[in-house]
Amino acid sequence: MSRDTVYLAATGTALPGDPVDNAALAKLLGASEEWIDLFVGTRTRHFAWDPATGEVLRTLADLCAEAGSRALAAAGLDPADIEFLVLATATPDHLLPTTATEVADRLGMDHLPVYQLQAGCSGAVQALDLGRCLVAGGRRAGLLIGGDVTHRFLAARRSAARMPTEELVNHVLFGDGAGAVVLTAEPDGPGERGVALRGVLNRCAGRRRPPGQFIDWSGISDRDTERRMLAEDYKAIEEHVPAISVEIVWELLGELGWTVDEVDHILPPQLSGRMTARIMEHLPVPSAAEVSCVTETGNTGNALPFLQLDRLLPRLGPGQRALAVTVESSKWIRAGFALERA
Amino acid sequence: MEDIAIVGLDCAFPGAADADAYWDLLMRGGDAIGSVPARRWDPDDFPGVPGAGGFLDDADVFDADFFSVSPREAAAMDPHHRLLLHSAWRALEDSGRAPGDLAGSDTGVFVGMMGGEWGRLTMGTPARATPQLGAGSSNGMAANRISYHFNLTGPSLAVDTACSSSLVAVHLAAGALRAGECDTALAGGVNVLLSPSLGLVYAQMGLAASDGRCKPFSADADGIGRSEGVGLVVLRRLSDAVADGQRIYAVLRGSAVNQDGRSNGVTAPNRWSQQAVVQAAYRRAGITPDQVAFVEAHGTGTVLGDTIECAALGSVHGVPRPSPCALGSVKGNLGHLEGAAGIAALIKTALALHHRVVPASRFADRENPQLQLAARGMRLLKSPLRLPAGETVAAVSSFGMGGTNTHAVLATAPRPAVSRSYAAPAGASVAGAAPRSGETGVFTLSADTPEALRRNLLAQAEDVAGRPPGDAARLCWSSNRIKTGLPYRFAVTARDSAELADALRGAAADDLPATAAPRPWARPVVAFLFTGQGSVHAGMTAPLYRDSPLYRRHLDEVDAALAPHLGASVREVILGGGERVHEPAFAQPALFAVGCALARTLAALGVTPAAVLGHSLGEYAAAVTAGALDLDEAARLVVRRAAVLRDLPHGGGMLAVRAGAEPVAELLAGEPEVRIAALNGPSDTVLSGPREALSRLERALGAHGVDARPLDVTHAFHAPPTAPMAEALREESVQATAPTLPFASTRYGRMLREEPLDGAYWADQAAQPVLFDAALGALVAETFPTHLLEIGPRPQLLPLAGRAGHAAGLEGLHPAPGPEATGRELAETVAALHRAGLDPVWDALYAPGHRAAERLRPYVFCADHHYWDRQSGPAPAPASATRQHPGTPSPEPHPPTRPEHAPGPEKPGLVETGLVEPGPAEPELTEAGPVLAAVVDAVVEVGGHPRERVLREARFYEDLGFDSVMIMQLKSRVESRLPQIGEVSVQQLLPALRSVGTLADFLDDMVMAGAA
Repeated sequence: MSRDTVYLAATGTALPGDPVDNAALAKLLGASEEWIDLFVGTRTRHFAWDPATGEVLRTLADLCAEAGSRALAAAGLDPADIEFLVLATATPDHLLPTTATEVADRLGMDHLPVYQLQAGCSGAVQALDLGRCLVAGGRRAGLLIGGDVTHRFLAARRSAARMPTEELVNHVLFGDGAGAVVLTAEPDGPGERGVALRGVLNRCAGRRRPPGQFIDWSGISDRDTERRMLAEDYKAIEEHVPAISVEIVWELLGELGWTVDEVDHILPPQLSGRMTARIMEHLPVPSAAEVSCVTETGNTGNALPFLQLDRLLPRLGPGQRALAVTVESSKWIRAGFALERA
Repeated sequence: MEDIAIVGLDCAFPGAADADAYWDLLMRGGDAIGSVPARRWDPDDFPGVPGAGGFLDDADVFDADFFSVSPREAAAMDPHHRLLLHSAWRALEDSGRAPGDLAGSDTGVFVGMMGGEWGRLTMGTPARATPQLGAGSSNGMAANRISYHFNLTGPSLAVDTACSSSLVAVHLAAGALRAGECDTALAGGVNVLLSPSLGLVYAQMGLAASDGRCKPFSADADGIGRSEGVGLVVLRRLSDAVADGQRIYAVLRGSAVNQDGRSNGVTAPNRWSQQAVVQAAYRRAGITPDQVAFVEAHGTGTVLGDTIECAALGSVHGVPRPSPCALGSVKGNLGHLEGAAGIAALIKTALALHHRVVPASRFADRENPQLQLAARGMRLLKSPLRLPAGETVAAVSSFGMGGTNTHAVLATAPRPAVSRSYAAPAGASVAGAAPRSGETGVFTLSADTPEALRRNLLAQAEDVAGRPPGDAARLCWSSNRIKTGLPYRFAVTARDSAELADALRGAAADDLPATAAPRPWARPVVAFLFTGQGSVHAGMTAPLYRDSPLYRRHLDEVDAALAPHLGASVREVILGGGERVHEPAFAQPALFAVGCALARTLAALGVTPAAVLGHSLGEYAAAVTAGALDLDEAARLVVRRAAVLRDLPHGGGMLAVRAGAEPVAELLAGEPEVRIAALNGPSDTVLSGPREALSRLERALGAHGVDARPLDVTHAFHAPPTAPMAEALREESVQATAPTLPFASTRYGRMLREEPLDGAYWADQAAQPVLFDAALGALVAETFPTHLLEIGPRPQLLPLAGRAGHAAGLEGLHPAPGPEATGRELAETVAALHRAGLDPVWDALYAPGHRAAERLRPYVFCADHHYWDRQSGPAPAPASATRQHPGTPSPEPHPPTRPEHAPGPEKPGLVETGLVEPGPAEPELTEAGPVLAAVVDAVVEVGGHPRERVLREARFYEDLGFDSVMIMQLKSRVESRLPQIGEVSVQQLLPALRSVGTLADFLDDMVMAGAA
């Protein structure tokens, strides 16, 4: 059985603890609150670890299970109804077992294919792309989850005075969170107007390009090296991401035969409050309402498009269309998708 | 044929204490067969019987106290019955309802069990018979006892068709539901291996597996291995289950029963009848064989039985089909549960449809090629089968040795329709459409003793902690539906599951935590105290408004009532958070709105006051709550009052003084413009007058060491400067009726009598001092409240009541105790009142989206008391008797009840029964007198209770489990112990039979009368 269209039945999110605002963060880091407000533009974020002590309070599996559980409940489905699970993350709890399989266990799912995608900002789109193929191959319902945690890469106890600026930026840019979507072969019940996934763009375009983002891990052989575990080429990102975003919009529109005026909602890349605003200025969708979350959630990596979808679905009216755009600068993955409510 | 929903289930099988463990056992292909426990029989005594089988670890455990069954009766009760009682309670809880809520309903009970071994073992010698044994040993009583203990009045019957009993019971239950004989049915079966007798029979017939294991459809199959267990399902008509929002494991589409008739011998299976029953069931279910994804077969693992069953199934299922019909039998894991075999198979199938995976069939890897399964459109499940999405149909077979065959068709449950949060049209408020995440709920739990509460708190903590983290609201709502109704009540507020798990674990660590309370004997009597004006503040109750849809609705309603008079939305003024709320035009309407909305919110939650009191302005909301003023009329008056006030010059003030009226009066002599505005308590007085005069007084009082604090008000209330406000009210024609509740008037300082709440009343209550102290004193003295609820945005009256000594022994609660108060404080108020005996309207606490059933772990019974009577042992007679000839129809019974002279625990033959627990040293009864001692002795003798449990307060029926038969026995024991009273008629005795103490007092009187 092959199907052309898949549907987004419901979303769920998990943002740990209370939001940490710039005043609190500035105090912890010994940095300037004004600097965060002005140059990053992110107002709050959530951490699954205690910024004061560094103690890890919630694992990635905790967050992903929570988001997945909420999405299932919202879709009115039982774990047994789910026929595949895809989890995208850059920061798994362990290498094995995968966080995806642990989440399946936590959610009471058994005897089903479980995939984990190692990805960054484009992970949600990769999950949608894979999920779309699985549904086209005959599966009726799947759960897609994206999430990331920062405790391995940020240490708020360190004083900002001793931190290079590019490292300090990481501390104010990122947050922890997870989001999930239930993908189904059928629109909701009778009388429901399903949200159809009309198109997906998922393309790695990093040939001969140095990485814009770098996240490392270490083991017995190299745990004592002094290299940086998280690094971003902010100059390259600022230069290329807006332009690539514009291309993604045109490409999706061209593929679907939609015009710029037919886009009611736009989900732009969520790098930071400031960067997202800059990208929005360039996107050729004048009539579209922006659906963003980064100023409240921080950059939560693989969770971002799911958090945006969680905000979009209640606003997406009958007949309305939405475009999502994301650029993963690690290896310059251009990604996006298009939705339409019947 | 109407579909029947399986909405709840419970089971205990060898190696699987509950349904979750059963599923785990099935999914890992577990083997539940072990050697015969020493407490049953010594396998060496019966060389002809396999020394292995499926045995429950704790078939002898029974929580007799929970069911108010006396230890003596519990020991006499057939162990089958005991297992059923536990399982029935848990199954009903699993169906999402408190078992107590079904009391008096027409719920039916259908229990399959075979034989009557307990009766034979215990009553084989007529001399051994006792009333308890008589009632304890009949099969019919197995169902009837459930009906009795749960007070279920629908059909109640035991079914014995040998090994198909429990599936036939399900068939009959479904029929009774379809016929409208009952709306809910408990159905299932039980089997306990009390003796090796039937094992000997199987051996003699050549049907016993050498290793005690059924190996269904295997080339190694060599016969039956016996096993035991209990299983029950809760059934409803599908339409009812869906309408009630119950979770559904699977749907019973149709079933059939037939008979072999005159087959090849009474115990021989009949292929044609098996085929016919399968076809009949499919016909009734409206399906064709190609739709059946798998069949849970009878599959005993006898070569003949397997061959005939596969031939019958093959002739039905061997049709053109997309894939072969999967085949398996749980007997490979559990063995043959005889009377309970069908329910074990049905529960396995229901769980498989629920989880959408069919477990592999044990011993399938050496499939018997003679069965030709592939040629017959079937395949034995050698690995788990993942079921595709969409509807799946499965079937279950169960065949009786005497030729009664049954077959049932099941299907996956329909998915409940959910209203999607985003289905709202574009532009709709996002917050209003979906339930807010993080809503505060109240998690409730109840148990029959503090110990049981702790045990169950731990079980729930473990269960909640094991779930994916998330909101607690659905768990809370479900707990309100399921886990209420037992004497010891626990209630705690929670937003998310992690917080809930911590709270449960913490509570379990305490002896009787603050979040739990003992059996409340009556409903709480609640007085509402409506706060006066000093409590107004910017943004008051805003967090509650954000959190509670209920409060939101009621504040909106009151706002709508005020708006036409006020010409503005007081809600906006309140929630706006600005200082406008303090303006004279708004302060009073705002406080009135908050008071009315809070009272209405509480009323919607089932918290209704027994009496009301309002402090000054609070009296308007009190009058609305008491039905004396309707909301519109009160709104009009309050706005009128505020409007007059707005036009009065500012300048006056008020001063709260921590002293009584008398010491203040002396100082007032020098300040003629200052009046006493309120007498709030023996050391709480409020003064009203010009600010300069009040400042002088404040200094003077300070010099005397008396605390005084200016109040945040714009005018000198209850004093001449605000007299125009009072006079304006006097001219109003007020539409008022007599309050329908006791109304403590702060105008009169007593309960309101016949006085009308007319314009003059409202004028006087504005002009005259507020007599709060006296009014509250009268309220407490005349209405005996157990709880004082402050209805206002900040604590004002509860502290006053405390200092005045009016709150001694009363619990004070405040649903909105300050600017930070959210929905949690409101929920905490409801939780506290529930602990005190209130059964709130729980639904009102939750957004509709959170009123969704979650299965909770069912009740964990006390496992401390074993009622087991070993059938062999050092005592020579029983052992030699059972050893005589295998298959002796009636082995020498071992009396399950204690002989007249209690044996010590070391007495051989009785192992750890509730009866032989050594009691502590004789309690101190000498002080209490010989009559009480005689009553206690008699009770212990009749009921077999441990002596320390027979307290003065112990009630005969509820606590000691006495029934009429035991009462008769008690009467004769008492008479023989107290010869001086002679013969007492039952009529005389009955009124005294409330508790041990009341009986002793009554008999004491008789002894005294005889002596006089």
